[in-house]
Amino acid sequence: MKHLYSFLLLLSVLLLIGPRGYGQQQPGAKTVTGNFTRVPFGQFVRELETQTDYRFYYDNTAPPDSFRVSLEARELPLATVLRRVFEGTAYRFALTPDGRAFITSEVSIEPELSRLFFRPAGTLSEGPVAAAPEDLTPTAAPTRSRYVTVAEYKVYEIGTGGGSGPVTLAGHIRDVKSGEPVIGATIYSENPSVGTSTDQFGFYSLTLPAGRYTLQIRSVGSKNTRRQVILRGSGRLEIEVEEDVTTLKEVVIEGEKDKNISSTQMGLEKLDIKTIKQVPTAFGEADILRVVLTLPGVKSVGEGSTGLNVRGGATDQNLILFNDMTVYNPSHLFGFFSAFNPDMLQGVELYKSAMPAKYGGRLSSVLDITTREGNKKKFSGAGGIGPLTSRLTLEGPIIKEKSSFLVGARASYSDWLLKRLSDSKFRQSSAGFSDFSAHLSHQFSDRDAVYATGYYSTDRFRLASDTTYRYANKSASLKWRHNFSNQLYGVLTGAFSHYDYDITSEDNEVNSSRLQYSINQTSLRADFSYYPNPKHSLDFGVSSLLYNVSPGSLKPLKDGSLVVPNILDREQAVESAVYVSDKIDVNQRLSVSVGLRYSLYNALGARTVNEYAPGESRSENTLIGTQYYGPGKVLATYHGPEYRASARYSLSDNSSVKLSYNRTRQYISQLTNTASVSPADTWKLADNNIRPQVGDQVSVGYYRNFKSNTIETSVETYYKSLRDFVDYKGGAVLLLNRTIETDIINAEGKAYGVEVLVRKLTGKVNGWVSYTYSRSLVRANAGTPADQINNGRYYASNFDKPHDATLVGNYRFSRRFSTSLNFNYSTGRPITLPIAKYYAGNSLRVFYSDRNAYRVPDYMRMDLAFNIEGNHKVQKLAHSSVTLGIYNLTGRQNPYSIYFKSENGQIKGYKLSIFGRPIPTATYNFKF
Amino acid sequence: MKKLTVFRHGLWLLLLLAGLAGCVEPYAPEVINAPPNLLVVEGFINADGPTSIRLSRTITLAQTTLPPPETNAQLAVEVQNGPSYPLRETAPGTYTGAPLSLPAGSLCRLRISTAKGQQYASDFVPVKRTPPIDELQWKAQESGFNFYLSTQDPTGNSQFYRWEYDETWEIIPTYQPNIGYYDTGVGTGKIDTIRSRPYPYPFRCWVSEQSNKVVVSRTSGLSQDQVRDFRLRVLPLNSERLFSRYSLRVRQQVLTREEYDYWQLLAKNTENIGSLFDAQPSQLTGNVRSLDEAGGQQALGFVGAHSVSEKRIFVDRTDLPAGSNPLTGYESCSPLTLLNLVEPFPPPPPEEKAQTLYGAFHDGSFVPIFEVAKGVEFASRDCVDCRTRGTTVRPDFW
Repeated sequence: MKHLYSFLLLLSVLLLIGPRGYGQQQPGAKTVTGNFTRVPFGQFVRELETQTDYRFYYDNTAPPDSFRVSLEARELPLATVLRRVFEGTAYRFALTPDGRAFITSEVSIEPELSRLFFRPAGTLSEGPVAAAPEDLTPTAAPTRSRYVTVAEYKVYEIGTGGGSGPVTLAGHIRDVKSGEPVIGATIYSENPSVGTSTDQFGFYSLTLPAGRYTLQIRSVGSKNTRRQVILRGSGRLEIEVEEDVTTLKEVVIEGEKDKNISSTQMGLEKLDIKTIKQVPTAFGEADILRVVLTLPGVKSVGEGSTGLNVRGGATDQNLILFNDMTVYNPSHLFGFFSAFNPDMLQGVELYKSAMPAKYGGRLSSVLDITTREGNKKKFSGAGGIGPLTSRLTLEGPIIKEKSSFLVGARASYSDWLLKRLSDSKFRQSSAGFSDFSAHLSHQFSDRDAVYATGYYSTDRFRLASDTTYRYANKSASLKWRHNFSNQLYGVLTGAFSHYDYDITSEDNEVNSSRLQYSINQTSLRADFSYYPNPKHSLDFGVSSLLYNVSPGSLKPLKDGSLVVPNILDREQAVESAVYVSDKIDVNQRLSVSVGLRYSLYNALGARTVNEYAPGESRSENTLIGTQYYGPGKVLATYHGPEYRASARYSLSDNSSVKLSYNRTRQYISQLTNTASVSPADTWKLADNNIRPQVGDQVSVGYYRNFKSNTIETSVETYYKSLRDFVDYKGGAVLLLNRTIETDIINAEGKAYGVEVLVRKLTGKVNGWVSYTYSRSLVRANAGTPADQINNGRYYASNFDKPHDATLVGNYRFSRRFSTSLNFNYSTGRPITLPIAKYYAGNSLRVFYSDRNAYRVPDYMRMDLAFNIEGNHKVQKLAHSSVTLGIYNLTGRQNPYSIYFKSENGQIKGYKLSIFGRPIPTATYNFKF
Repeated sequence: MKKLTVFRHGLWLLLLLAGLAGCVEPYAPEVINAPPNLLVVEGFINADGPTSIRLSRTITLAQTTLPPPETNAQLAVEVQNGPSYPLRETAPGTYTGAPLSLPAGSLCRLRISTAKGQQYASDFVPVKRTPPIDELQWKAQESGFNFYLSTQDPTGNSQFYRWEYDETWEIIPTYQPNIGYYDTGVGTGKIDTIRSRPYPYPFRCWVSEQSNKVVVSRTSGLSQDQVRDFRLRVLPLNSERLFSRYSLRVRQQVLTREEYDYWQLLAKNTENIGSLFDAQPSQLTGNVRSLDEAGGQQALGFVGAHSVSEKRIFVDRTDLPAGSNPLTGYESCSPLTLLNLVEPFPPPPPEEKAQTLYGAFHDGSFVPIFEVAKGVEFASRDCVDCRTRGTTVRPDFW
């Protein structure tokens, strides 16, 4: 009877009109007679209540009194009368044998409990028990929107039939206000413990035995909610959740609650845009890549570089995806800004190990940046004004609830500033960048949705009317998502990415020239997710990528130019892959994920390929000939399996151990022989002379949460080996080099490290502390001494910084004032130093140390920021916030660059610090 | 390197934009201030002639003087399982031995014992015989005035080649003034006809220059050990070196693979390093090692063993193709500069004129060339006296 009681109480809450004078009545006369003409519904009900013994229960807004009834009835059964009355309306009714009539909107309630409901305990979940009476008081959540409150207490009946076999519940989790999908939300039943999380479309699919459950829904940045369902068969349940407006920080992390322990995924770092926005930056604007750099295991060579070195991998070994489009240069202004508008973004996921089989093509990591979907319910916008840039984002529905747009633009006003400077050299200069992105989504039906994204970013510099330097990313993607059934859905994605740069020199007519480089990447992929039963979730798919590179051209610019045109052959290649992976929940404690990806790479003509004497170090002198391959002819083929495996074993409720192994293959390398990534670096495809890179990584981690999941700790260690990654001979020339392979060495590398992370999740003080010890070593010992570096011994890579400690802390004084502190320490990067001079071969020579034998001074920086929010009235025209920050609080002069110049016969060393003193910033952000 | 500069400028621009002061400080870590004082060995064991080795030391980066020679060392060429031939210090830091004739293929090395008693030796290297240079010729082409070299080794043992060249050319000054400046007293002077015999300025000089480039090539990997038309030197078509007569002498040496690699790396090293946008330099030491137990310092240099073959060619002005128009090398001397002695009006008195001439020409860095109505036309001494550029001693091969 307890169940019944709970249920009734629940209904009473739902119906709001309490059970008036509810008592045990004998169901008596059940027919209705009368002539009703435009009778208000309330009056009609009173008439029915007098004519029959039924008591009516309904929410008096549905149907409202404005709903008028016109009906002629003669001894009609009540059910027939109601059916006629509600025909063609959204109202449903239900009658109980004990004389009650329930009228609801949209969903009819099942007054009789499912047969399954009364099964003996043990064969079915204990779900309903969870709905203990004290939990049901609606006043328990006074801030909740009515919709969500109602939804939480409503019992959804899914499917038909009374089978007891497994059924699949699927649907989307969306934000109630904007209609945007909530990505990475977890939905789970506590008993039996079955759960899943939503994918990038907010889609989930959960397979459970038929029965009644309370599903808990948690996600980053949203309030926790739950849904009560009775599963009779497979069906859909769309869930809307509320954004957590006031207690951002707490909830940001609450969403991650126990995820680090329960998921099989390891080496994954998720950052929500709200977290990103809290971290202070040099120019005041939230910068996604800067925040990624504070994560354990992620480093860069220098302060002004957004080139990521993930777990000892090179900067070209990261697959940077922006809504599935590859971005080749994710930065503005030589790497000081990341090229993504923070207001457009949903968040970012960084896979450092256990890369899902879906991803491939890069060795070290996947950085998956996703935009929001755009508000489907109302028009809104956001923006910000900072010291160097401003940005604006607009979003809104195109067709309400079905399609939405999201567009954002960002531009610098440095050009404007330059024009106002007194120095004519600067007035002739210009520097500027901008980016623009747009995202459209349309939901055709429950089954089909289409998403389109466009992205454009550009940088332009001109220095004292001499050389103009420009680069741009252009990409677009179109995605079609189709649900075949609750258990199977597929996504077809077509994407195009383009990156190019040019350097134009115009200072005099004779030398005027333009150097250009470009890469195009066109891809088509189909990905499927299949959830056959609660124990398995399968992902499989195919993809194919076409690269088209023009490796460089130098052309005269003006008529009088004497520059001899030099145009390198285009390079083309196709990279294809198939993959399948399965996540298997073996039992409560053990969960395993296994995957295989097989990739095939074909370098294609038309192209002339250099051939070198076998067994010799490649150089101009060992070039024995060239071979021409016609258009579409395969000139080199590489292929191989990529294994992906990971496992999680729960030691207890709040601790687990995880293990993973993955192999990755990379067919395209970035050519950069400078320590930092420079925008003029080029990407080179594997061919006859340059082999693809292969990497293996094993990692083990221990995860433990304390204080009911409010403090997360983890220790991850990894060992990584890399084969055939690109290193350079001394003095390599990479631009316009027709025999580029003579300057390149296929080196091998190894990297290992331990990453320790402690995160405090909630409370006034929150944030994380991490410490990483890691090494990244390279060896080039193949071939002749000319091909060896440091006599073939292992040496520290450019980004080998063994010790790295980071603190990101937030303290919330009140809902409106908060402060963030950021501290970072790392060992200085390795450097090759000139040590002495000597005379040899009729010339003064410089004697250099072994490569990377020394280190620049250690790096240390502390930043502080204050966030002041406007008042928190939910209903107002615009919400604004101000961020005040001080970057490099201690004013430490961290080396940005160390360089040597020859001056009057002396070679002198200099250290350049860019942010050598505290830098105050202020940014104004608004949202409407 | 252009793009690198662009970046560096870009950074400054950025700093300015952000209203920050980036700061540059001298950077000199311990290792740069007090670098190891390494022995530098230059030269090779001449398998068919006198061996000449130069010893010096490395200097700090900040030093502007020439590296100090390493004097009073004991050097010897050692043949494995054979005799040892001592070298004698013929000039400070230069050690020369008696002409040797070492059989090809025998192994030899250089032993060094410094004045302080440090012991060094190069690795044993096989003696290489350098084949003669078959042909050294020039062609005036669109790309410039190219010198091509051909050589071959039918035995196929040479494979790795290095060339050094030196150039000598004749210069003829365009002005031969017949007036000169003479002091007439303290602070005064005059212009007069040159009467002294012999004429004080040479009519012709010779300039010599040694290549400081490392020029190497290899034939390993080719089916035949042949170097054909290797472009050794390019002069601009109008090079002043071709104005009168030019000579190029090439010294060919055959190397071992290791020595070849050493030179190639040496050639590739650049001086701009260390910044985020500079290329990685390579470190190289060579084959001279310390024999001292523990703590012996390394030495720089690669001592190979080979013979040398030489060839010299001349290019006369008359050999140049029709229409060639080489520069004189004195283009910067015209137009001449005028020393005005008549203005302002009325003309200055003679005493003042004598003082002006004294001021202009007494120290000899400028010379009068023509007397004209308004005064004296003059040029720098370099325009008249070719000894500022070369020597008047006719080279013996000329």
